[in-house]
Amino acid sequence: MSRGLTLFRYSLTRLALAPVMLWLVSSLVFLLLRIAPGDPVDAVLGNRASSSAREALREKLGLDQPLWNQYIEFIKDLFHGDLGSALINEESVSKIISISLPATIELAFFSLILAIFLGFIVGFSGVAFPNRKLDFLGRIYGIGTYALPPFWAAMMVQLLFGVYLGWFPVGGRFPPTLLPPEGSGFYVLDSIRTANWPALQGSLRHLVLPASTLGLLLSGIFSRALRLNLSRTLDSGYIQAARSRGLREERVIIRHALPNALLPVLTITGITIASLVGGALLVELTFSWPGIALRLQEAINQRDYPVVQGIVVVIASLVVLISLFVDILVAMIDPRISY
Amino acid sequence: MPKKGGKFFLNRLFFILSLPLLVTLASCQLSKKSTRLIVASSGKITSLDPAQASTFDALQLLSALGDPLYKINKEGTLEGVLAKELPVISENGRIISIPLRDDVFFHDGTPFNSMAMAFSLKRFMKIGRLNYLLDGRIKSIETPSPYELRINLTRPSASFEGLLTSINLTPISPIAYSSYNNKFLNDKFIGTGPYRLASFSRQKIRLEPNKSYWGKSVNNNGIEFIKLSNSTALFGALRTGEIDVLMSNSLDEDQHLALHEMARARKIREGEGSPLEIGYITFNSNLYPLNNKLVRQGLLYSFDRNLIVERVSYGLRKPLYSMVPPLVSLHNEQTWPSYDPIRAKELFREAGYCGEKKLRIPFTFRSNVPADKLLALTWQAQLNRDLSECLEITLEGVESITVYKQLGKGAFTSVMLDWRGAYPHAEAYLTPFLSCKKSNGSFCSEGESAASGSFWTNNQIKRILQLSDRTLGEERNGLLKSAEKGAANGASYLPVWLVTPRAWAQNELEKPEFDTNGHLKLSRLRAIENE
Repeated sequence: MSRGLTLFRYSLTRLALAPVMLWLVSSLVFLLLRIAPGDPVDAVLGNRASSSAREALREKLGLDQPLWNQYIEFIKDLFHGDLGSALINEESVSKIISISLPATIELAFFSLILAIFLGFIVGFSGVAFPNRKLDFLGRIYGIGTYALPPFWAAMMVQLLFGVYLGWFPVGGRFPPTLLPPEGSGFYVLDSIRTANWPALQGSLRHLVLPASTLGLLLSGIFSRALRLNLSRTLDSGYIQAARSRGLREERVIIRHALPNALLPVLTITGITIASLVGGALLVELTFSWPGIALRLQEAINQRDYPVVQGIVVVIASLVVLISLFVDILVAMIDPRISY
Repeated sequence: MPKKGGKFFLNRLFFILSLPLLVTLASCQLSKKSTRLIVASSGKITSLDPAQASTFDALQLLSALGDPLYKINKEGTLEGVLAKELPVISENGRIISIPLRDDVFFHDGTPFNSMAMAFSLKRFMKIGRLNYLLDGRIKSIETPSPYELRINLTRPSASFEGLLTSINLTPISPIAYSSYNNKFLNDKFIGTGPYRLASFSRQKIRLEPNKSYWGKSVNNNGIEFIKLSNSTALFGALRTGEIDVLMSNSLDEDQHLALHEMARARKIREGEGSPLEIGYITFNSNLYPLNNKLVRQGLLYSFDRNLIVERVSYGLRKPLYSMVPPLVSLHNEQTWPSYDPIRAKELFREAGYCGEKKLRIPFTFRSNVPADKLLALTWQAQLNRDLSECLEITLEGVESITVYKQLGKGAFTSVMLDWRGAYPHAEAYLTPFLSCKKSNGSFCSEGESAASGSFWTNNQIKRILQLSDRTLGEERNGLLKSAEKGAANGASYLPVWLVTPRAWAQNELEKPEFDTNGHLKLSRLRAIENE
């Protein structure tokens, strides 16, 4: 069987297994939410309402139904692509996700760009000047940024650049005095598309601190991975052979060493993207970034079952798709990988 | 190693990848501020439907977008807002007639009248999340004339007047809400208030002045009400001038103090409202060892409010010796006892504790409320210092929603909670703690007392509360006062502190003002140079 066909079959198998995985994830979330103490009625009414008022609202929200009935309804709706509506205010879950997800993806995109930029600079400098001061500092940077607690780093960045220096807004996604650009929900893209330059400036200013924090925290893993893999590749026999044939060093690195060294980095990038799609809760929370993680956290606090379930299902689907895409990409680039 | 090639490559990479950074830095220039005022808070606003809104911030906004029928004025008496005059109550107390203003229009241009008010009330009764506040008191609503509303009650209820001040009962346009008679309209609001809603999202709500408002026009060009998710962001945003006004709810105590100090140093302006939120501890009178009244009374004497309030809030909260806030209190006497460790020891000894038999009480606090945790730790340390031979409390942090879920099931021996009455009247601070539908001796098995976690009642208080709802004026006040004294004697609640609502504004603005419901008057905010 040809390699292309094998890869195709592998992709189909993975795609066929995705619904099973999503069913497992959604069932688990359904169950865990019901096990957790408290329900939306307590979140809505607090400690004010009488037991009869609680029971009335519980009945209205369908929470008085047996768990099995609630589960069947949930799975039936999910099968029809209906994520339901929030118990707290009856807002459609799909709408909630369509508003919050672009914010998270936008933040993830800029963070990743920054992480790759910083990671590559530090990683390359380590390879270019091995065992020198720069390399030593790069390694400390790699370990340090990886080990930094995200909430602490985010608060420090916010305090320094937002509160004390006042260079950037301390929170939010868009200047309150402007109207967000209409369109896809990706403010930077929408601002460029509609040539709304004040909106673009505002969006970028609000992106700087959260994206930098997240980018900084993620860059360590990229710098470490790149330095390690590139050093190893440059020591390998085929690179020595290329050099001995008199190829220019630049060509040796770019054409021969880098593609091989980048394969593991690509896998790491895939995992990172998948985790970022789920949102970086602590960064979103610190910078009041209205992304999917912040929304998920609010929904969990309010015990808003349909919102939590819907967000988890969507995130899980995206993670499955991204992982599959990265796997296929790696397989296409690296002929040594077999399935 | 490829030193030369590496350097070359590094230079190029720096050049290419620096471009996004340059673009970002170019955007650092501060954007020009608009003429609207930016007000920030951390509260959640999921809906502006008066039938759905229940959070403090949502009610705050509704009070700017809508008008209630009545308000409680500074003297503590009822005053008409959309009602032209005070309600007329029939002799049997079952019919309330309310004359309405005839010069009011909704934001969509349709007139406000008795039909609209009846529509709004009926809708709230049908789908309102807080409709339990009405407690089945409304039998029917009639509209005998375009500007007269008649409410028929199922039973005489003196507290019903207080309910008419609730912003949840604000009128909405029947035409705009015609398709939403049985469901919520979360992101729109068509009412009669000084502002109209221009846009709504979870992060930002834009209010524009209602140019055809029947009352005093607003002092500013509009409000951008934004949500920031944490205390540091709110504090930083005010400090850097990103926002004009900051509301104090859910701000950390340290930052409260810092802002208070800044206001004292005249760097910002601070406005204070009347404190209507109380913090209190519930003692479960049905659980050992708190089923012994002497133990509960000993606990009342063991609590050093002055110390605890100072340590937790740096003195910004006020010690409270009554379940009723001073603003709506019916007397000037101190109802609950002050800190007295000697008397506490006497009571614990009398109950058979101290020395070899030490009293151990679990104390639950809401783990997601920072002030509660500080209170628990401080009280524990204070008891170790003053009463270590008699009493020890063990601390347990539980998330608030779990606390609310388990409270009425009697899961907590003692627990810290807070309360804000549905309307500013003493009754709204007594009935929700003391009323009981079903009891056996001093154990309440069904009713507000059970739902609040104390399970304590007595026949006299039950009678007083029932009678007070059928009585008016001084006689009613006297009854409520005796109910409060009875509660203090029963020692199933320990009032801790009063929370003062605060707001801070930049120096360019006038000092923020609050209404008697503790809501910031957004319409009164204005820049000083506009004078």
